[in-house]
Amino acid sequence: MPGAKFDIHYVFDYFPKQLSTLSLTLTIVGLSILLGLGFGFLVALPRLYKVPVLQRVSQVYVSFFRGTPILIQLFLIYYGLPEVLKLFSVDVTRTPVLAFVVLTYSLHAGAYISEMIRAGVTAVDRGQVEAAYSVGMSGFQAFVRIVLPQALAISLPVFANLVIATLKDTSLAFSLGVMEMTGKAQTLITLSQHFVETYIALAILYFVISFILEKIFYVLERRLLKHERQEAGAGTGRRFGWRSAPTLRNLLTGTTRGRGGARARDGRSEA
Amino acid sequence: MIQLSRITKSFGRHEVLKGIDLNVGKGEVVAILGPSGSGKTTLLRCINFLERPSGGTVAIGEAKADGKHPSKKDIRELRLKSAMVFQHYNLFRHKTALENVMEGLVIVRKIPKEKARAKSVEVLEKVGLGAKIDAYPSQLSGGQQQRVGIARALALEPEVILFDEPTSALDPELVGEVLEVIRRIAKEGITMVVVTHEMGFARDVANRVVFMDEGAVIEEGDPREIFAKPKQERTKQFLKRITPEPNYSI
Ligand SMILES: Nc1ncnc2c1ncn2[C@@H]1O[C@H](COP(=O)(O)OP(=O)(O)OP(=O)(O)O)[C@@H](O)[C@H]1O
Ligand SMILES: [Mg+2]
Repeated sequence: MPGAKFDIHYVFDYFPKQLSTLSLTLTIVGLSILLGLGFGFLVALPRLYKVPVLQRVSQVYVSFFRGTPILIQLFLIYYGLPEVLKLFSVDVTRTPVLAFVVLTYSLHAGAYISEMIRAGVTAVDRGQVEAAYSVGMSGFQAFVRIVLPQALAISLPVFANLVIATLKDTSLAFSLGVMEMTGKAQTLITLSQHFVETYIALAILYFVISFILEKIFYVLERRLLKHERQEAGAGTGRRFGWRSAPTLRNLLTGTTRGRGGARARDGRSEA
Repeated sequence: MIQLSRITKSFGRHEVLKGIDLNVGKGEVVAILGPSGSGKTTLLRCINFLERPSGGTVAIGEAKADGKHPSKKDIRELRLKSAMVFQHYNLFRHKTALENVMEGLVIVRKIPKEKARAKSVEVLEKVGLGAKIDAYPSQLSGGQQQRVGIARALALEPEVILFDEPTSALDPELVGEVLEVIRRIAKEGITMVVVTHEMGFARDVANRVVFMDEGAVIEEGDPREIFAKPKQERTKQFLKRITPEPNYSI
């Protein structure tokens, strides 16, 4: 077995050292998700509104970022993007690595988020939009007041999974030399040769953050979906319960959980 | 009040409405009857442009729109003058009964929240749901949901309310409560167009019935006369099929 003899003290010792890089990890996650939401919306719209050419473009984008490993995306963007930009005489050699990392993660998250938005929006039945029109709302009002809140609530479990997946994926940023939690762990190992202890401390850190995020999303979800809860006792089971939420990859491969709409859907054309 | 002239509608090559003329006077209750697929729903949806006619014109009061080339403003005007009650209720599922009714008042009519709330509570009480104002649609029975749908339409004080088979998605034992509410508001003199399969209701409540078949109006007139002695062969057949009781007509 490589490295130094196991010593539990290193776990406690390294914990605070790695904790100091937590803020960088969370920054990457936060920025990536935020930007990812932006990309996701931009990419979802042409598909929702069936814009001829853009629709194809966004399909290709989504397939690419869902279909290739994030590590390769990191390398492609870090090494490839500067080359491409050079053709347009844009020099990015002084741009911090972190920018490339965040760009990659947000493009990656954006692909999943666009699918999430699409699934969420299509799950809100058309009849409600027609009802909104019939009381005089504009298309924009109907979208913002009626469709979006419900789509977001439906999407929340998927979104939660995505945030946690992104958190875990940030551990790959160390391969470009970014000193986030995993990167820090690597240097600690180089110094001390205490592999196992370092990774134990690291695993605990990731686990605790994921756990906290899960709890937060669970509370949020219960809030946002309170309208789907039947009165006590009359419940038909927790259709959108956290526990029953399928995994990210399963869900995003296109299974939308239909709701209510089955009998309310009329499938008619819009005015 | 409502003037439809030469309304046509095609889905692809399928001509669903073949030039319909229909005038509905103020305070009149018109029931539209006819076999499945005859275009009743489509006609109703053309009135508020949930479906865009292929030709003809639609007018409600002062508001008027060209069927094929309506302006956004025209459509909006028509929708402000009308309200619709849907077969499947189409309530906003993330909003309570009260919020469902308030939504149009606050967002579209820009009525201050407190006033809108008072108005909405009043209308919900009128349809017998005073105790359920804070319930979400998922917590209401079909009949209750449809009464919220009616309250949502009624609160807007539209010049005309369009009903598309308001009771046909309901369990039989819930049909009565909804028809009762519609009957009551009909008495208040609100203009209504009701697509229905409830013959008894059409006969008792409507001032006029309109029979449609294959995208055209084939017969119309006073319900009692028409139910007693329909002139058209197709109306006769339809009535025979739909009214099982032999001693149904007067
Ligand atoms: N969005 C649509 N696309 C294509 N065809 C349609 C569409 N909506 C309605 N139709 C067709 O138009 C015809 C009339 O339909 P409509 O729903 O108006 O009939 P209806 O009289 O309301 O029937 P029902 O009593 O069954 O409700 C039907 O043949 C239907 O298939
Ligand atoms: Mg119909």
